[in-house]
Amino acid sequence: MIKARLLCWLLLVPLIPLSAQSPTVSSFDLPNGLKVILAPSGNSQAAAVCVYHMHGARSDPADGRGIAYLYQYLMFDGNENLEPYDHVLFIGKMGGVVSGRVSYDNSVFYELLPAQEINVALWLESERLKSLRLRDANIDFHKNQIFNRISRLWEANLGFKAQTWVSSKVFEGLPYEFPLYGDLNRIPSLGNERIRENYPNFQNLANILLIIAGKFDISELRNGINKFFQDIPPGRRSANPVFNAQNQRKSPVLKNWVVPGLKKSMAVFGIKAPAKISYNYMYFDFLRYYLTDARISRLNHILNTVNKLDVEIESSFTDYMEANCLIIQISHPKRINLEKARFVLASEFQALASKPLGNSDVRAVRSLMEIDLLKGMLSPEERCQRIGEYFHMFGELNFFDVQLRRLRRITSYDVQESAKKYLLKENQVVLNVYGN
Amino acid sequence: MSMAIKESAFYRGRRLLGAALVFLAFAPSLSGETRLFSFTTSKGLPVKVLQDNEMPFIHAELQVYLDGRAQNANSLAITQLVVMNMFERSLNSPSSNLSDMLLRQGNDYQVELEPESVKISMNFLPDRLGPFSKLLNEIFTYKSFHLKKFNESKERFWSLFLKNRDWRKEIAVLLAYQQLIGNFYFSQSFLLQETLNKINLAQLRSFLLRTFRPDNAQLILKGRINPYFILGMIEKDLPQPPSLPLQARKPEAALNTGRRVFILNVDSPDLPSAYWFDVAPAADSAAFIPYAIGNFALFGFPGGRIYQSEKNQALMGGYKVNTDVIFFKDFTLFCNYMRLNYGDLENFLLLVDQERRKFSVRPVERKEYLDALNYYIGHAQVESSRFDFDLRGEISRFRGQGASLLASRIGPELFQDVSLSRVVQTMDEQMGAKSRTGPKEKGIVVLIGSADAIVKNLKLLKTEALEMSLD
Repeated sequence: MIKARLLCWLLLVPLIPLSAQSPTVSSFDLPNGLKVILAPSGNSQAAAVCVYHMHGARSDPADGRGIAYLYQYLMFDGNENLEPYDHVLFIGKMGGVVSGRVSYDNSVFYELLPAQEINVALWLESERLKSLRLRDANIDFHKNQIFNRISRLWEANLGFKAQTWVSSKVFEGLPYEFPLYGDLNRIPSLGNERIRENYPNFQNLANILLIIAGKFDISELRNGINKFFQDIPPGRRSANPVFNAQNQRKSPVLKNWVVPGLKKSMAVFGIKAPAKISYNYMYFDFLRYYLTDARISRLNHILNTVNKLDVEIESSFTDYMEANCLIIQISHPKRINLEKARFVLASEFQALASKPLGNSDVRAVRSLMEIDLLKGMLSPEERCQRIGEYFHMFGELNFFDVQLRRLRRITSYDVQESAKKYLLKENQVVLNVYGN
Repeated sequence: MSMAIKESAFYRGRRLLGAALVFLAFAPSLSGETRLFSFTTSKGLPVKVLQDNEMPFIHAELQVYLDGRAQNANSLAITQLVVMNMFERSLNSPSSNLSDMLLRQGNDYQVELEPESVKISMNFLPDRLGPFSKLLNEIFTYKSFHLKKFNESKERFWSLFLKNRDWRKEIAVLLAYQQLIGNFYFSQSFLLQETLNKINLAQLRSFLLRTFRPDNAQLILKGRINPYFILGMIEKDLPQPPSLPLQARKPEAALNTGRRVFILNVDSPDLPSAYWFDVAPAADSAAFIPYAIGNFALFGFPGGRIYQSEKNQALMGGYKVNTDVIFFKDFTLFCNYMRLNYGDLENFLLLVDQERRKFSVRPVERKEYLDALNYYIGHAQVESSRFDFDLRGEISRFRGQGASLLASRIGPELFQDVSLSRVVQTMDEQMGAKSRTGPKEKGIVVLIGSADAIVKNLKLLKTEALEMSLD
């Protein structure tokens, strides 16, 4: 009888839903030093090819800030074999997607395309690494484009101006202090020769990860990688970057701007948040979800639903490796509503630091964070980026299990401790913008 | 006595083993492939389970059908207010049982009001599968309307309606409904405050009773799900549909003809947007895919005629046009849209018009036809990496075979089903000389931006003022 029952359970056990199984990630190095990371998954007909540069705007020379940001656009300008935007056209024709961005700590370029066309993406990426069109005409074109676009934004969008100021104060003394595009007025005069000279640092193979996720045949893929990437000259082997988590601020900053004719007053709060490499990052991220994520948005609830202040709330989070900034912008035409909102916000921060969150809130936020993590793992391009970032920070490939385990263990106590540390007045930069 | 116990334990053990074997025989395999199970509950709710054992969370979509034809502005207001009162997070005071349940489920949900259905989609962790059927029951038996919340939803209607949305597109789409569809309640698109003020709670309750019922909805679930487990749970928790008969389907939506250009004045420093709306064949018609291919040959990127013309003539900076398709039972609405500089507006409008006319003299060519099919097949493969991809296919099947082919499982069979000559014929009928000379053309163009700047940049095209209010 016991045997029969045991057999039944053994038969039924595989049908009971199990927790997510971590996908296998492996890597190998080409003789020229290029590290290749493979993250296969068989549940779609698509693959993502991602070139992750462990190089970003923070590596720009002090007198050449904004150079890396220019590469974000120059990377699509073709090379000796390709015309400008051919890269986008090739992938677009087959129904795929191309994207790229330069940040402070890293730069990521990827293609998402039908799995059987993966060699096209490998070829396009290798072309980009072998030679890039850095002629005066196209560099000048992008310098002007960036200058005009940011100038327009600067003139027309007071929120952008205010948030840039707050972020520069939160990150004072850190590589993130200056905007990605550098000094706006110096963009047109950045030397083209300087931009060309700096490119080998950006394109240095020793600082690049080639990450492929999605559906592929490993042996065919290896052949493709060898064919397209083995001729690229090796880069200078540099020491793995060491990131240092920065501490929270010790003194508050409060500033008022008076803007004549302003219709809507605003208050912009910049909260210095833990580094992505720090252990506390996940706990603060929990707080960020709880306060600002549109699906939970505690701030909207207490400011607008409970206190009926009818304020507009905008928020953004930086996601950098050594320190971060949570920006919360609150605006309303009436100053009195803004002052009340400021008071309610301070009380909410105080409450989070002084008493633990209820179990239902903790469970809801934790489950939301877990779903977002799992969604990210199902999307090939996002998976590439997360693997790249984790390897860049910790030199490890399989981060998924560790992250998931830690996430599931978050308690109200962890959240309270994080609030005590980071939601303090001393850790905030506040900018008030009023009409006269 | 002891013998009896032994025997009964023995038989119970065998029964358990037998049940397990039967279960195993019918249970789906645990391979990585997605398997589809379809059934209808005794309460009339059709359920489709896409079992995917590699998916780490569960995605659910509940579609409640609306029949908006031959209705009025009140109907639209009632539908919008019902959705807001039930699901709008910022109206959560006092909190309802439904909002508490959604929070416990993870709160990762989205509600979209489509022309012919309300779509509620949500993601949750597998351990919340049990409570999901109770949540479903709460949706179908919702009674927690609160007067305070109801009044607030009327006061804040437009700010809530446009929150977190591409409101330019929403307004353009509403204008298209209003201009193109005569007897459909979405054609009463711009709700006035006085219409909203006239609505009372009883109307919301009555609408809910007639519409939110198991026999007027469809549920699709995807994830690591045992279909028999979920079927049992839903059977247990689902309420009986009310005895009220379902509303009879109304006659086809009437379509207005003609092509007009509208300018919506918006005070914003952003670039202006242009939207081309065209009424196309229904998704289940044989002309649907040929039309989609023709539209790609015109607006597609990078092989489309418009992009190629602007590149060859070095007219503008290489604008990319995006395409959305809005499905109705009897027709589809193709929306091609883009943002561009004020200075390029007129050239672009003229270029689009010129290329549309050319279909009668220069029909879709073989290369364009193959490029379009290759694009659709490749795009479907790329989209297969999205977790809700195969659900889209299932939902599209409700809309018609053509849409489901485009949404998923698009393959080489398309080349056999859709010939080049069919594409040529369709485009000639829809955009070429045949529609130009007759009264068949159905479409509008909406330009959104600073009206002064738009008009200043239109030199050849004449404009006429038409004032509309959103208050």
